[in-house]
Amino acid sequence: MQATQLTQPTQTLKIAYLFPDLLNLYGDGGNVTCLRKRCEWRAIPVEVVMVRHGEHIDFSQVDIVFLGGGPDREQRLAAEELLRMKEDLRAYVEDDGVLLAICGGYQLLGTEWLLGSESVEGLGIIDMATRPGGADRLIDNIVVETTVCKSPVVGYENHAGRTVLGAGMLPFGKVVSKTGHGNNDESGCDGVLYRNLIGSYLHGPLLGKNPEVADYLLKCALEKRQGSPVTLAALDDSVEAAANAFVCEHC
Amino acid sequence: MGVRKVCAEGISAASTWVLKNVFHRPAANFPGKIALYVDPRIIADLAPKLRKGSLVVCGTNGKTTTCNLLADALETAGEAVICNRTGANLDSGVASALLHGTAADWGVFESDELWLAKILPQLRSRYLVLLNLFRDQLDRCGEIDRIQESIIGALAASPETVLVYNADDPLCAAIALKAPNKTIAFGIGEDLHLEQNTVADAQMCQMCASMLGYTYRQYGQLGDFACPTCGFKRAQLDFAARDVRVGKEGLAFAVETTIAEKPHKVAAIQSRYSGAYMVYNLLATFTAAHLAGCSCENFQKAVDAYDPQNGRLQDFVVAGRSVLLNLAKNPTGFNQNMKLIIQDDAPCAVAFFVNDKEGDGHDVSWLWDVDFEELAAQPDVMVFAGGLRKNDVQVRLKYAGITSVLVEGAADVFAHISETPSARSVYLIANYTALPPVHAELTQMTAPAVKED
Repeated sequence: MQATQLTQPTQTLKIAYLFPDLLNLYGDGGNVTCLRKRCEWRAIPVEVVMVRHGEHIDFSQVDIVFLGGGPDREQRLAAEELLRMKEDLRAYVEDDGVLLAICGGYQLLGTEWLLGSESVEGLGIIDMATRPGGADRLIDNIVVETTVCKSPVVGYENHAGRTVLGAGMLPFGKVVSKTGHGNNDESGCDGVLYRNLIGSYLHGPLLGKNPEVADYLLKCALEKRQGSPVTLAALDDSVEAAANAFVCEHC
Repeated sequence: MGVRKVCAEGISAASTWVLKNVFHRPAANFPGKIALYVDPRIIADLAPKLRKGSLVVCGTNGKTTTCNLLADALETAGEAVICNRTGANLDSGVASALLHGTAADWGVFESDELWLAKILPQLRSRYLVLLNLFRDQLDRCGEIDRIQESIIGALAASPETVLVYNADDPLCAAIALKAPNKTIAFGIGEDLHLEQNTVADAQMCQMCASMLGYTYRQYGQLGDFACPTCGFKRAQLDFAARDVRVGKEGLAFAVETTIAEKPHKVAAIQSRYSGAYMVYNLLATFTAAHLAGCSCENFQKAVDAYDPQNGRLQDFVVAGRSVLLNLAKNPTGFNQNMKLIIQDDAPCAVAFFVNDKEGDGHDVSWLWDVDFEELAAQPDVMVFAGGLRKNDVQVRLKYAGITSVLVEGAADVFAHISETPSARSVYLIANYTALPPVHAELTQMTAPAVKED
């Protein structure tokens, strides 16, 4: 199949940011900024749809969904809302819809997750579970290697829950830094990669210092929509690369 | 106790002498640290030095400014004051200040939020001034609930302390509701009509988990809030700022109180400092000073003379350029600084210095919670990124639509703008550990030249 250079896209790429008023810890909303700017720099029409508490979203009308983490109380409320849209979100993911979920938002996708010290029912979209794991939170700089891009992926993790993937589920990447743990104390892996869904513990935000991951998500979204391979125009990522290299050198 | 206290005082006095005379260090922490080691109750043992008692200032942003200004106001009123002026706000800093000071009328201390539980129960202060609680160093402090619980515990262990709190902050109001202590509420009694930032804490009611509603909102989560479900809302203000004016030339407001009788104006305050957050700082300081018996005249005198030289809103002139240095440690602090910068459309240069050491928090992702986008709309601004995490700052700025240049320090900024007219003013914003080196560079650059002969 001939790769299509996306020169004059006509349809607007829609990014849904789920519950920015509840799930907005650790600068993770920056992931949405990264996706939007990388579209704008390429003249790809883009629109960010903020889905606030009490609002609804038709997943068939969006190309990328972002889900971050929040403080316990806010996350409980967001989880209640998400449980109501569970089947729609599952259908979206199974239909290769692009979804990025970070930290608390990532944990919510499993069968159970941790609210404070209490285990609660998750969305069950991904075969994984998050459980308590000792007194220590996993807090540190972290570098992972992933199949979705060539450069090492850098970030900062800060979570109490330990996530265990179900048999056959692929992690987002392998932890290659001396510091950092990822999903749990033993696996040496972070996150999950399932269809066009990426779940990860990495803050930073993830896409800021890892533009290749951002472009991977954009490419998946554009290809799904137009049903043919897409080559994104190259951007000058030297500023991002320098920040990425700084973290790689220091952990 | 007596022997321990005497030993602790002796060892700490010796260490102070060595630090000051041999190492030329200010001795703000270490003497208190070893004194606490010898006598863990040293703060309580020394508290009787303070004839009228003490006031403690706590909160995420504005502690050092409020604490120093409060000490100035009481000194202007003729009181002898012991104060941890340099911002050494752990128990060791408070102990050091008490060890160094001779008997005084008042102790005025700032306390770190999580160390208040160690400090307040020993001091048994007359008043605790609680300024605000913002998202700050999540990797160190954990989430805000934990900080609130710790402050409530500190208050419960010092039942005679009156809590003077920012009633516009639902996170402080929740503490006032849960702590058993007597409370006094302050806040801004009118809408300042400020443009809101993107990310704010506490949009949810902590009492019942509904979303809070606001009649008006100043910045962050501060404003006239009410929960539509459970009725948790801003308390009636005992001290309210009214007729507030904030502009690039400074600020002015009146203070109205409802204490003891029907609402009446007790003060008119003005300052050359600007920013909505300075209205809160000054209102908090006035309220505490007023409760401690300071007159409005003396308070205004202290505000007029306030020039702490500590890198908080400090003015410099470098090569004919006006320079403002300020500390900002978290998104709210950075956003408030952004408002100061964009008040003026004249050409300027702005440099952000961000470190990620222990005192700053190792995680710098909060940079993405700052609305740097506001700066992109300015007509003529040159932007620089410095500090250990300058690369992260540069990336964040890039995604805000701002091209920035990496710098090694303050002098580097001035080298980059040396060709531009001196009318281009400079703003240097630094986080906690990034501030002292920038401050030192500026101090050196503005120091009078030493004659060789």
